[in-house]
Amino acid sequence: MGVIVALTLKEAMRRRAFLGTLIILVALYGLSFLPRAFKEAFGGSERQFEIGVNIAVLFGVDIIKFFSAVLAILLCAGALTAEIERGYLAAILPRPLHRWELYLGKWLGVMLFSAANATLWTAMLWVSVAVQGQPRVEMWRALPYVLLYPVLYGTLALAFSSFLGASIASMFTVAAGAFAYFSDQFLRPIAAFFDVKLLQQIVWLSEWTLPMATLKRLVQQRVDTILPPSMDDAPPWGTEAMLRFLKPEVQTLDIVYVGVYIVAALLIGLLIFWRRDVQ
Amino acid sequence: MWAIETRNLRKVFRPLIGGKPITAVDNLNLQVPPGTVFGFLGPNGAGKTTTIQILIGNVYPTAGEAFILGHRAGALAAKRKLGFLPEKFQFHDFLTAEEFLRMHGRLAKMDGATLQKRIDEVLELVGLTQRRKSKIREFSKGMQQRIGLAQAIIHDPDLVILDEPTSALDPLGRRRVREVVQYLKERGKTVFLNSHLLSEVERSCDVVAIIDRGRVVKQGALDELLVNRSVVSIELKRVEPRVLEAMAQVAQKVQPVDERRVTAEVAQEDDIAELARAIVQAGGALMGLQAHRETLEDLFIQTVEGESK
Ligand SMILES: Nc1ncnc2c1ncn2[C@@H]1O[C@H](COP(=O)(O)OP(=O)(O)OP(=O)(O)O)[C@@H](O)[C@H]1O
Ligand SMILES: [Mg+2]
Repeated sequence: MGVIVALTLKEAMRRRAFLGTLIILVALYGLSFLPRAFKEAFGGSERQFEIGVNIAVLFGVDIIKFFSAVLAILLCAGALTAEIERGYLAAILPRPLHRWELYLGKWLGVMLFSAANATLWTAMLWVSVAVQGQPRVEMWRALPYVLLYPVLYGTLALAFSSFLGASIASMFTVAAGAFAYFSDQFLRPIAAFFDVKLLQQIVWLSEWTLPMATLKRLVQQRVDTILPPSMDDAPPWGTEAMLRFLKPEVQTLDIVYVGVYIVAALLIGLLIFWRRDVQ
Repeated sequence: MWAIETRNLRKVFRPLIGGKPITAVDNLNLQVPPGTVFGFLGPNGAGKTTTIQILIGNVYPTAGEAFILGHRAGALAAKRKLGFLPEKFQFHDFLTAEEFLRMHGRLAKMDGATLQKRIDEVLELVGLTQRRKSKIREFSKGMQQRIGLAQAIIHDPDLVILDEPTSALDPLGRRRVREVVQYLKERGKTVFLNSHLLSEVERSCDVVAIIDRGRVVKQGALDELLVNRSVVSIELKRVEPRVLEAMAQVAQKVQPVDERRVTAEVAQEDDIAELARAIVQAGGALMGLQAHRETLEDLFIQTVEGESK
């Protein structure tokens, strides 16, 4: 299986994924200096500068979440059916290895690659705010949960790619993500404030379909000490139940659910790939 | 124990939506003796590639069984002793020839020292030693096919399955493949190859099977299938029934081509003169006669055309 992992990593490098990585590194670097630039341009207190750094860090974490997930989707979506169609696997599969070894080898290769990237990005952001005298250890606390983004989306994309071509597999994964994002960011507040039961059920369902909001809360919990005050305040109106729906508590079971979800997606994809004809 | 054995092997492709199912392999029974070079022949779409894909475990049969060297097709034990060159080959072309072979050697669980030695050997065998450091992407189609052949034999397998190994090769490359096949045969390996170049097959194979529409229609040792039979092309001033009748007394098969020409098959070479005498005695005006030993191509065309009638 090590050979497959190595091959997957080599393939990832070859696809100029590094160029993308570099662009994001530069973007994060620039972002980390924005608060200082603002302070110098418009003046402002030390406290305002600190809050500015917090905002930049939170935004940076979002960028890392997003792009490591995108990277994992891109690499996973073309990993199976697309490679079968291009004929790459025809000579690999007759080798004495189980199909699950190939599947998990690819999975592991992409996960290692995206995780390495996300860690590199985090390190970059951390170092560049630290040299400004503003180290934010919260980023490291959040990293394990941030890494679950590429794992979640990559696993899903790989499962789709066990029977779909690269573009359709990534489209399905992105669509699932977009639906989860839309229902969390848009439907959730509407459902809460207008107290619409049906919408609340849709939001609830979407969270089961793809535990993205769950994951978001888990990341947020690690960085909540640097959440800007205004964002942390509860809205001035609404019943207790509405507010709970708007901002659900993080529960211990959340991480278990995310884990179970990932394992289930991995197993379903594996089963499909195991049973299909490869030609 | 057969090197390859299939029992009532069947594969039906069912489209997911609409369309009618295609039976690619239909009750196929094959027995490949170990140590032979086995030619697997058939017209386009006969089911050769599908059968091979089942043998190597890439495709699951709808029914029936396939065994490789006594192991069920697709089992790890079977794959360990198997080398394969795909028909539609497309390799990881960002690797160099050497890296590519090393990857396959490691996938085949070879140890480092043996592998390094073997890489040199197989590169020499397929004539790519000079290009060992080149990326496969920079290879011509024929060179890619040759590196594919090298990959198939890197781990010294007991059975080598080649799906159209010469489709991209020039005459020199084809000769090289013949030599590799010979080399494998001398080492007691079994080679199972599928090719449309029947003259190649005739030169290197001991046993052949011809399949059509998923079934074996002829199987046997080449020298038994092509026993001394000759095909005679005859030109007459005019083809007359009387003459045809006389020819049929001698020949196994008589087939008029047009008003002037007839082809006939005789069981042995002595019958050619006999045939000429029969034509003349029946009053036929013989203009020309040309005989040649039946080739695999003749047998193939006859068998497949005979089937479709
Ligand atoms: N994945 C598939 N889905 C549907 N039909 C298929 C599939 N693969 C092969 N077939 C059909 O099965 C039949 C046999 O195909 P196969 O590729 O085995 O033929 P072949 O003998 O190798 O032909 P050729 O000499 O052209 O390579 C053909 O009718 C083909 O259209
Ligand atoms: Mg074929």
